[in-house]
This record gives sequence, C-alpha cells and structure tokens, in this order.
Amino acid sequence: MLKLGRHTFADDQPLMMAIVNRTPDSFFDKGATWAEDAAFARVAEVVGQGAEIVDIGGIKAAPGVEIGPAEEKARVVDFVARVRETWPDLVISVDTWRAEVGDAVCAAGADVLNDAWGGADPELVDVAAQWRAALICTHTGGVTPRTRPYRIEYDGPGGVVAAAIADTVAYAERALAAGVERDSLVIDPAHDFGKNTFHSLELTRRLDEMVATGWPVLVSLSNKDFVGETLGLEVGERLIGTLAATSVCALAGARIYRVHQVLETRQTVDMVWSIAGRRPPLRAIRGLQ
Amino acid sequence: MPGVPALLKRHASLEDPVAELRAACATAIGRLGPRVRVLASGPSAERVGSQLVWQAGGLVVEDDETGLLVVGNGSAKRTEKAPGHFDPRAEAFDEGLRTSFAGIDPALADELWADTGMLGILPALTDAEVLYDDAPFGVQYWVAFWG
Repeated sequence: MLKLGRHTFADDQPLMMAIVNRTPDSFFDKGATWAEDAAFARVAEVVGQGAEIVDIGGIKAAPGVEIGPAEEKARVVDFVARVRETWPDLVISVDTWRAEVGDAVCAAGADVLNDAWGGADPELVDVAAQWRAALICTHTGGVTPRTRPYRIEYDGPGGVVAAAIADTVAYAERALAAGVERDSLVIDPAHDFGKNTFHSLELTRRLDEMVATGWPVLVSLSNKDFVGETLGLEVGERLIGTLAATSVCALAGARIYRVHQVLETRQTVDMVWSIAGRRPPLRAIRGLQ
Repeated sequence: MPGVPALLKRHASLEDPVAELRAACATAIGRLGPRVRVLASGPSAERVGSQLVWQAGGLVVEDDETGLLVVGNGSAKRTEKAPGHFDPRAEAFDEGLRTSFAGIDPALADELWADTGMLGILPALTDAEVLYDDAPFGVQYWVAFWG
C-alpha cells in the first residue's frame, strides 16, 4: 500500500503526478501557468486527464532570481488551499525543499512534500512526520538547491546508481526515524539533478536496482536535458524521447511518474504495465471469439 | 454454450468483452446441478466449459451427472470482421441450426468454422429456454437451457 497523505493506493497501481508550476520561468512552460487562474485551469485539465497527483511548485529548479520563503509561500499556500477545496480526492504534492514552506502547505491541505533537493533542509522530515504527509526522497549528490551539476563524478563502486540508492534510502530511513510512516516514503533518483546525461542514462538503464530496494520509486524524466542532449532536441521536442525513457522505467517497475504530458505518459505506462503482466488489457477479443 | 476462449480466466480484460454471454452461461450452468458432464468437440472447448462449471461451484464428472453441458457454436464467418471473414452462406447455415440441430452437414460446418461436433445430440432450440442468441463478433453463439 502507498499512503499519500489522506489517500491510499494499491502497490500495483502506477500513478501520474502532473507538474503544475506557479512560476514565471520554469523551463518547459515558461510561465504559462504563472497566473493563479492559469495554474488552476492546468489543475482542472490534468484532473480531467486522470492524474492522481498534482505537484505544485513555486520555484523553478534552475538557477535564477532568489525566491525567499515568504515569496514561495505567497505563490503556493493559498493555491494549495483552493485546489484542496475544489478537488478533495486529488493528491496534492508541493515541490519544496524548505521546512517552513512545507509546514504552511500541509496546513493548507497538501498530502506530499516533494523534496527535489534531497534533504537540503534537515527539518523537512519533521514537518512531514508532524502532518502525516508523504515525502519524496530524492538524490542530488549533495548539491546546493538550484545549482547546476558541474563536473560531478560518482567514482565509488556501483557508480551513480549505488550513490542514488545509498542517499535516497538513507534519507528515507532518516524520515522513518523522524516519524514519517513507512508507506508514505518514496525514493527518486532525480534525473539531471547533480548528474550529467551519462549518469541519467545509466540510472534509467539500471532503474530495476532502485526498485529492488523495496521503496516505491518516483521518476521525473519529463522533457529533461538528458533527453534533449541524447537526441539533440530542444525543450518542446522531447516528448518521444521522454516516453522512451518512461517505458524503460515502467518495465523496471517505477510507481510514480512526474510529468508534463499526462495522457501520453499514462498510455505509455499502461502499455508497458500490460506487457509486464501487471495490468490486463482493457478489452481483448482478437482471436478469442 | 459456445467454447469462447475469452471466457477463460487467463484471458480476463479490464472490461469484459463477453459480459452478457458470460452471465447467460452462468445462469444456464447454475441450473445443471452440482455434477456436470461436459460434452465438447475438442480440448479447447472442453476447457472453457469445464472452467465455467468450476467457477459456478460445480464438479465436472464423467458419469452420474446431474446435468449435461454441451459446448459448441454456429459459424464464424458472419461478417467482414469475423474470424473467418464473410461467407454469404453463413447466415443461412446458422438459421438452419436455429430451426434444428439434426442433419448438420459436417463439411459445410468445417468450411464455415462452426463448432457443431456435439450439437447433433441436442433437441431443437424451439424447445429450449434461449438465454443468449447473438453473433457479436461475427460468430454465432447460443446459450440455451432444456429443462
């Protein structure tokens, strides 16, 4: 069972986490949902497409203008409350590394804290425990939030995969010790975060090793630079490459898919889930009449 | 009942493509009592009949049966999209079966991909309670109960 705040899901159910940016400058949508009503419309759209989770973020991942906790809260807290009120059955995740922001969004109705920066704020686990929220434990290789990877190497035995497993599992265990429920912890290798393209490709290829830890795995592949660099494509042209990477992760058994394109990813994951024998076909009659 | 492999558990879909047929089979088999003898023309049809008996909580037996389950169906060439493609003779052939199972032409049945090997022992459908009579995939199915 996977417990995401007030919601629970069976262990064989893959989940779509739709990205909702309350930012003027995120790489994919370039501020398309910066206005609150536009972000709200985006939530309505992805709910209509069957996303189980929305991941609301107030700060873009890449370097840029410093956004303090007050500004971050102004961007997301009231918005979370509005989404919670409108869609009581929707899982609300907030993409933040700050305990102070995590506390405020949980009070407003968030179910999940998606710490994309791998535990940079040590108190975030306490906030998750206190609110009985789920926590996404990501691997960043220890980089400071909102910095780009620069000549990072993973030279230990097992390379980047062993490092990602060691760090995310250690983070999950630290959260467990702080009182977060075992069923509410998810690990994420964090493609591109603290990694070059070769690292992200290797993580994708060896994702089964992360799944084998027994912790549910989230993958965030959507339109990222490792796809762009691999295929030589700009941000708006990376859907097919994203879906190819998604297929590989789905076959390995990733549980949560953090995405821009919900319908396309759902279709891809459903297809792979059926190939893997984890989901019956929707309606099979060919040759069986 | 017809030996439709889609009725088997291992072919289950999220949405049952043969839900009505399955329900009719369950109703008929439920009336056959606890010991059912399955008569089928081959192992595939027999597997389908037997599994449905087990699912209904019955035992498949060779003798001392409380009911007899005969597995078979009409032609599989009723439409362009039918498994055997369209054959203009199929509809009349099935209409003939609908009147009587006596005197089936086995050569024509073969050509029309009909599974009629065991149907000859049955009384006419006109004497039965017909629970299902349709050709949803270009294959003619009947579920009928003779009391």
